[in-house]
Amino acid sequence: MIFDSYEAYKQAGFKPKACILGSGPAGTTIARKLGAAGIPVVVLEAGSREFSDESQDFYRGTTVGDYYFDLDITRLRFMGGSSNHWAGWCRVLDRQDFEPKAWAPDTGWPISRADIEPFLAEVRDILELPAFRPDVQVSDDIRWVQLIKSPAVRFAEKFADELDKSGNIAVVLNTYATELMGDGKRVTGAKLWSNGQDAGIFTADYFVTCTGGLENSRLLLWSNQRSNGGVVPNATALGRYWMEHPTFEGGNAILANYSEFQVDASNEAFFSPTPAAMERLQILNFGIRVIESPYPNVKRLIADLACTAPNMAEWMSAQLDQRLHCAAQLYVAWEQAPLASNQIELSRTDVDHAGVPRIELHWKKSPLERRTLLEGLKLFGATLAQKNLGRVRIDEWISNGGDYPNNEETAGHHHMGGTRMGTDVLKSVVDANCKVHGMDNLYVGGSSVFCTSGQCNPTTTITALACRLGEHLGKVIAV
Amino acid sequence: MSSFMKRISRRAIVQALIALPALSLFRNQPAVVDPDEIIEVNGWILRRSDLA
Repeated sequence: MIFDSYEAYKQAGFKPKACILGSGPAGTTIARKLGAAGIPVVVLEAGSREFSDESQDFYRGTTVGDYYFDLDITRLRFMGGSSNHWAGWCRVLDRQDFEPKAWAPDTGWPISRADIEPFLAEVRDILELPAFRPDVQVSDDIRWVQLIKSPAVRFAEKFADELDKSGNIAVVLNTYATELMGDGKRVTGAKLWSNGQDAGIFTADYFVTCTGGLENSRLLLWSNQRSNGGVVPNATALGRYWMEHPTFEGGNAILANYSEFQVDASNEAFFSPTPAAMERLQILNFGIRVIESPYPNVKRLIADLACTAPNMAEWMSAQLDQRLHCAAQLYVAWEQAPLASNQIELSRTDVDHAGVPRIELHWKKSPLERRTLLEGLKLFGATLAQKNLGRVRIDEWISNGGDYPNNEETAGHHHMGGTRMGTDVLKSVVDANCKVHGMDNLYVGGSSVFCTSGQCNPTTTITALACRLGEHLGKVIAV
Repeated sequence: MSSFMKRISRRAIVQALIALPALSLFRNQPAVVDPDEIIEVNGWILRRSDLA
């Protein structure tokens, strides 16, 4: 069932056991799991079926620190959430992304990759993915990694009919919770806002916030402030350890034979460090995206190389006669160190139309990440040279410690952390089952529970965690 | 003839002359260049053999 307003929903007399806030990949997946288990669930979606400026305006905010995207363009507030603009790139976090690293404080999850692997077949079905392929070790330091370019499932498009026909799932559009109310043990209700006005208080046995990697923190921070700590009793880490995937062009490469790189249909290939290399160099995970360059770039690069390494340039020139596909741009995206100082705060001066403080995002890249960027490119360059697969040139601003350019991709629009998973209540917000510490009936879905970011796009892992949470919650509610 | 030369035998002089070439073993050897060594020049990650 899909309703366009809370008023219409109320008239239907639906009695849900659980309330999910948000209809993006996490919210929709959890709702479908609960619905399939025979559990009545309501999904509150703040936006409508389509994009609107009025709805997006609720997402405006400010960023303090490094340059970042405007907060109202880096996510979408309508049915299907940010799945409406994602690129569809898919990969699950690596095994080592879940493990603590002695050289990077506050890393490590309370679960391992094995805990989400049982759900990957389901994830493939939801995201329409081919089989996952194992990594291929290229050298002791570098591995080829699969990054699937999927059809970019728009969750509203794909599941609207199913949700509409479901007797167990009610989706209420143009409706959301401005705040949750709680007594330090349970969420006792949610103050609703529907179609631009106060819609009263809503109650359910269970609440799951799936409003996104920025908005989950905002909702819980505001709710906790209003209820004097009654919604997140252990709130030290709330809003903190926020992460992105910084992304910049890192250099170029001249490649002897591009076909050796297991390129995908877009003529791109992806590489990451081996766990041993990360440990030896004490760096974080990263992904190097190799993109074939047009032929004129090859000539320019070889002219540059000739000044430095005439022997190599001569050999490459000879190769050019036979094969033109041998120059590439290198883009690097990397894992961000989880830092408590990278955090979502509530603005003290600016509120949205419903009176909820807007987000003030504090975000800076760390020296460890800067070293990861440089050492990562060096590792990749050394592997290509050792294997005689090609040669890499690192951009000058990286080699010389220059400022990050502000005319590039900057980051991946991947919002992670803020309500991270863990066992230490001082450094986490939810437990291994995504339940808020100290609360009996409040859960969090989505990338805000990520403890570390890994290097890959988060939607696949978000969906796997949502399948896991949906299954867990189904058992909890059924008892 | 110096008093030093008077004190050593002709045999010892001949032995010393024979041993002279071996002294080169103790000279500083030029570093052995590994053509596969990975080096960084002007931002390029290269093998040493790439250089002219």
